[in-house]
Amino acid sequence: MQILITVVGCILFAVLAPVVGCLLAGLDRKISARMQGRVGPPLLQPYYDVRKLLEKDHVAVNSSEGVYIAFALVFAILAGGIFFTGGNLLMCIFVITLSSLLFIVAAYSSRSPYAEVGAERETMQVMAYEPMVLLMAVAFFLVTGSFNVSSAFDQQVPVFTSIWLVFLGFLFILTIKLRKSPFDLSYSHHAHQELVKGITTEMSGPTLAKVEIMHWCESVLFLGWVGMFFIWGNPISIVVAIVVALVAFFLEIWIDNNFARVKWQALMTSAWVVALVAGGVNIGILMYL
Amino acid sequence: MTMIGFLILFPLVVAVILLAVRNNAARNVVVVAASLVIGLGSIWLVAVGLNGASPVYFEFSSPIVDGACTIVGIVVAITVICFGVKYKNYLAVVLAVIQLVGSLVFELNFAHGIEVSTPLYYDQLTLLMVFIIGIIGSAICVYALGYMEDFQAHEPEGALDRRPTFFALMFVFLSAMYVIVFSDHMTWLFTGWEVTTLCSFLLIAYTRTEEAIRNAFRQIVMNLLGGISFLIGLFACVLTMGTLSLSEFLLIGQVWPTVAVFAVTAFAFAGITKAAQMPFHTWLLGAMVAPTPTSALLHSSTMVKAGVFLLVKLAPVLALCPVPGGMLMFVGAVTFLVCSCLAITQSNAKRVLAYSTIANLGLITACAGVGTPEAVWAATFLILFHAIAKSLLFLCVGTAEHHIGSRDIEDMDLLFDRMPSLARFMILGIMCMFIAPFGMLISKWATLQSFTEVGNLALVLLLAFGSAATFMFWAKWMGKLSGIAGQSKNVELSVHTSEWIPIMLMAVLIGLGCVGLPLISINLVEPYLYSTFGELSFPISFDNLIISGVAVVLIIIVLFAGLGHSTARKVDVYLAGVSVDNNNRTFKNSLSGVTEATARNWYMKDWLGERRLDMFGTIACGAFIVILYVVAAFAAAGLF
Repeated sequence: MQILITVVGCILFAVLAPVVGCLLAGLDRKISARMQGRVGPPLLQPYYDVRKLLEKDHVAVNSSEGVYIAFALVFAILAGGIFFTGGNLLMCIFVITLSSLLFIVAAYSSRSPYAEVGAERETMQVMAYEPMVLLMAVAFFLVTGSFNVSSAFDQQVPVFTSIWLVFLGFLFILTIKLRKSPFDLSYSHHAHQELVKGITTEMSGPTLAKVEIMHWCESVLFLGWVGMFFIWGNPISIVVAIVVALVAFFLEIWIDNNFARVKWQALMTSAWVVALVAGGVNIGILMYL
Repeated sequence: MTMIGFLILFPLVVAVILLAVRNNAARNVVVVAASLVIGLGSIWLVAVGLNGASPVYFEFSSPIVDGACTIVGIVVAITVICFGVKYKNYLAVVLAVIQLVGSLVFELNFAHGIEVSTPLYYDQLTLLMVFIIGIIGSAICVYALGYMEDFQAHEPEGALDRRPTFFALMFVFLSAMYVIVFSDHMTWLFTGWEVTTLCSFLLIAYTRTEEAIRNAFRQIVMNLLGGISFLIGLFACVLTMGTLSLSEFLLIGQVWPTVAVFAVTAFAFAGITKAAQMPFHTWLLGAMVAPTPTSALLHSSTMVKAGVFLLVKLAPVLALCPVPGGMLMFVGAVTFLVCSCLAITQSNAKRVLAYSTIANLGLITACAGVGTPEAVWAATFLILFHAIAKSLLFLCVGTAEHHIGSRDIEDMDLLFDRMPSLARFMILGIMCMFIAPFGMLISKWATLQSFTEVGNLALVLLLAFGSAATFMFWAKWMGKLSGIAGQSKNVELSVHTSEWIPIMLMAVLIGLGCVGLPLISINLVEPYLYSTFGELSFPISFDNLIISGVAVVLIIIVLFAGLGHSTARKVDVYLAGVSVDNNNRTFKNSLSGVTEATARNWYMKDWLGERRLDMFGTIACGAFIVILYVVAAFAAAGLF
């Protein structure tokens, strides 16, 4: 039964998440432009871009890259389906990690120097944020007694009240997961000399379109994780969760526009220290006090 | 009963035959036939065991076997002493003498009056080990045929052909492993334990180079320490409980943990040395000087698995004894984190594999230390999937080494082009080691859950950070393999069939194991947990296992059939500026010369500080072990 729900969830997620994600991406560009004193493109610009990419010829540096990307997208959708149907949080985390891995391997397979640099940095970034993500799941389990996302609805108060420190830690690594400056080491919207377009350098046409759609799905999923902290046994909490997720998204845009990119050592060290302190202290309190 | 006797004795007979056979073709026939017999015999026993009631104990009494154990023990010690004198390693000699004297005193004065009515048994954990030893172990023996032929060809002219001894030792190893997993009589178990130590010593020293001898002695010294600790544990068993039956010992230990504490600590220490946990990890790293089949055997189905097998057996008692349990949790979890980080800094494929083995054994060790049904569930699956995936990886690396002339990951660039099938098998093995939905990650998932449920913050943190490090070193290796330029020469056509068959077998086992995980859990692991702990444990829900199984099938299909068929128009990669030759990644530099764009993987040596990390792990684990051992000794002394 649960499997059937997950399948339906995946289909719905595959339809709705790109729409929401696309609007979020448009909003991102609008707000960023305003922060920089520009007018910015229309809200639907990301959609126009992807539609154009889909219409382009299928050109690639090898015959495998597109396959990797297609399955990275499939698994990103599976992760979203699992999460939004209230499935197992750890399962969701592992599946989205699988998606990241396929994305990384796609870049490696091109054997382009720029893509390789991007892929290596992306690998490092996964290593940087993974502990905090796992600790988030552990903290969620300690509060609700289950790894199932749906158990958040059984709570009297949102889990945020007892794991707000973990939430702050998660916000920190969310910047890495959304590839926002100062942590946009592997891939950047702005061309950088040493990186060009990093991990997506050799991706074009329909393949690049799939990458964009995957990013939209990821954004929706990660904002879902943010919202999860604010759910309790009252339907109104869904509205609260959406509002908080949007605020978090705005915060990420603000950070993106106000901080310069850091070196990888700073990223690694800060991400692990944040995970150790925020995760360690909060989980320690839950376990021992 | 007959089958157990057969599985123990048959490999010994084969070993004797192999010692005499010097002809290549004849050896091939003997090894293949013997491996088939052992493999089928093991499957038969597993099938019978799963259908009937378990555990099954066999009443049996034979002074001949007891006498044989004593003689084998003496032979092992004397062999070590001879080698020690020959190569002037007196530490090994001293330890061997201590062990010889200790075991003789034990046999003649202490163990003499104690009868074990049921010296042989099997339960589901034994069956799992039988499967691993019988299938994976004998498959590695088959693989060794082709590999050793190439190996001998690479040796300098006129080099001594020691292959008869090599293959004989492989089969003795299998026999000794069967002794370990079938023996309820702890003296017999100890004999098997010592034989595996000696076999791996001789296999590591196979090439007789200075480095091989040095590493072999490091192995023997560390494992003799473990052996002596095992002996101390046996003394403690006899003195405090008056039994030498493992099952009785576990029962008594579960009722009166305080009585068992010292013996369990001594056995736990023995397990730690054998499972190459910090600070004893260096012997397993040194062991890779041996030919690759040896490494595959040591890492996957034998030797280190004997160590964790003992620890997992002890789990129900460990859950009640905070001293040895804490020792295993701390040492295992710290080893997991430190060795996962150290694996990032390595570019030698075999060294990466070795560090990853030590790290995963650390996880199993920590699970055994936790000792709850859930943790044991995780530990059993870690043992199973690690055995399959690691042997696959070692076999692939061994074959790659003979065809590209290097075991460095940097040299595996473009392997996807050069050895298309082998690279895919290697990628499958790597994915099985670290990424969902494959078996190892499902086991790690259960591990995380059990650590969380027992409420141990340190374990949770060490696991979370260690897993992240694991992602880094596997992903970058996988990336290196997956590069495609489309021009390279295919060099895998000359790979022996005897190498392909075991590699494919392991790949099939990965697929079956991951998809059939719920079945293995219901038919094998759950009954074991029920008979040992009296309760069931389902750490991961059936739905999630189904989703994982489907995803595994999908990934395997894509990997072997989906990649490389796209119809996209091919273009060259972007090299920023004037490209000279895109396939070689050369471009015109600012002085109009030609430069090749090269990329190396990321090793983070400065950030991680290899030496600092290693020293931290060694000192922390070493100190912790010593302190807890002393504590356990005082606790035992307090009893009298």
